[in-house]
Amino acid sequence: MNRMQHIIALGLLLLAAGCAQVSKVATGEAVVRDRLVVNVDKPWNQFERSMGDDNATWTQDGFTVDALRFYVGLKNEQLIAPTPNEPKGTKPLAFKSGMSTQEIIGLFEGVYSRGGSTFKLEKVTPQPFAGGNGFRFEFTGVRRQDEVKLSGVGWVVVRQGELFAITYVAPQLAFFQRHLASAQAIAHSAKVR
Amino acid sequence: MNRRRWLQLGCAQCAALAGAAAAQGVTPQWQAPQRFSKPDLSSDEGGLWAMMDREERRLRRSNFRLRDEAFQNYLSEMCCRLGGNHCPDVRAYAVRTPVFNANMAPNGMMQVWSGLLLRVENEAQLCAVLGHEIGHYLQRHSLERLRDLKDRAALAQFFGMFGLVGLIGQLATIAGMMSFSRDQERDADLIGLKLMRDAGYDTREAAKVWGNLIAELKANPEADPTKESALFASHPPPQDREATLAAATAGDSGQTHEARYRQQVAPFRVLLLEDELKRNRPRESVVLLSRLLASEPGNAALLHFRAEAYQARGEPEDANLALNDYMAALATSNELPQTYRSLGQLHRQRNEPQHAKAYLQRYLAAAPSAPDAELFKQQLEELK
Repeated sequence: MNRMQHIIALGLLLLAAGCAQVSKVATGEAVVRDRLVVNVDKPWNQFERSMGDDNATWTQDGFTVDALRFYVGLKNEQLIAPTPNEPKGTKPLAFKSGMSTQEIIGLFEGVYSRGGSTFKLEKVTPQPFAGGNGFRFEFTGVRRQDEVKLSGVGWVVVRQGELFAITYVAPQLAFFQRHLASAQAIAHSAKVR
Repeated sequence: MNRRRWLQLGCAQCAALAGAAAAQGVTPQWQAPQRFSKPDLSSDEGGLWAMMDREERRLRRSNFRLRDEAFQNYLSEMCCRLGGNHCPDVRAYAVRTPVFNANMAPNGMMQVWSGLLLRVENEAQLCAVLGHEIGHYLQRHSLERLRDLKDRAALAQFFGMFGLVGLIGQLATIAGMMSFSRDQERDADLIGLKLMRDAGYDTREAAKVWGNLIAELKANPEADPTKESALFASHPPPQDREATLAAATAGDSGQTHEARYRQQVAPFRVLLLEDELKRNRPRESVVLLSRLLASEPGNAALLHFRAEAYQARGEPEDANLALNDYMAALATSNELPQTYRSLGQLHRQRNEPQHAKAYLQRYLAAAPSAPDAELFKQQLEELK
């Protein structure tokens, strides 16, 4: 590799690192997108943007393995997971303040079944979240690109017309259970400020 | 060599490729070849088969296969009816992908996507696509394409050395590649018709497959399928295909086996409908479901999912259209439990608690162990 190639490779590496914006979330109180306050029981890695959209994502083993995702203060008509390359004719996954629980779960189903992955709703239960009467949903699915079986859980509330949610998704085999307790503790501690 | 000379060469390349493609073609006297033996592993064809054998092993284990044994047997029977003495070599797999498509590998592995199974209305329409794919196999089109790609890759790399002028050469190469592919598609269409005719199917159904797809695509006027889908980049435009097939089959007759097809798909049709809505293209779904309802009026599942598609589309009258469809589904007395849930939610949003309560109660009675039962029990408490 000549000198110029070294410089280009270094530049690309720095560019990639800059795009990823990875930071450490230390144990203790953390604030996500200036609105959602959570308590963290062990350090996580935070990506400001990942999974091809605009939502803050935390991970222990890499966000293609386990992903704790935050949807903070989405307003009426705001896209839940905007991506730059939606084919024309695909209806944007936009949150609406008057949506039913079923429709809100449909939004997450749309996010997690993008690209042909499967999504099967396993359970929905009413559960307080972030200081409001929210709900918790569990799902399973198969990721299209590598056929990995995934498990997921989400906590959701609509407060004063804004959507707040945390979802945690990881491969069923070992990974999901490994960080589930920590994800649950974070969700249970969530407060809106 | 000057720039103008290079441009002339680029155009000559394009014309030569188009000429070569036009020289191919399936004549009315076309006969199916004898069964193929497995090619030598050291040949390019042998390498291609080995690669596809690996893919087939992966596909057999895949979580995305539609594992309905009766339907799998049904697919195999149809392939045998069409493929004649090639029957033992053609293996069709139904795959859960909610898009209109099917494809054929050179080793005889065929994938039939679930979006196609939802869209065809009878066995003859499905056979039009299966026959087309078997046509690719019989003409060994994958091998032709591989060899063509290898030649063109070398040519494109050569052109790439010459900047802008080279780029024109590359474009000509790509254009030739697509045209080569489109000619193969036309040949496969003609072979498919012959196989259908020989098996006693109504070949006129083949053109309808494309007419139906065109109607669906028109639902999204802002989307250009020829730009967004490789299916249309490498295939003749669906309008041309519909016209050619209609002309080639005028005056034909035969069986469609509509009832037999519906019976075979029935066990997993709700899954296909759920997957269709997850594509999140509600305008297309409304057109598709309206078409299916035209031939199956009063089908409760189709009415339910069209109502869901109306709700997802969200145009001014869609809530009322959805309500009408939900009510029509209930009138069939063959309704899905989720129709009650949707009606309960719709009335709750309209602030009609008594109606909402009644439908949610009926939902919980019809599906007491549904994943969302607990949630709706609480909603019922709130509605009291």
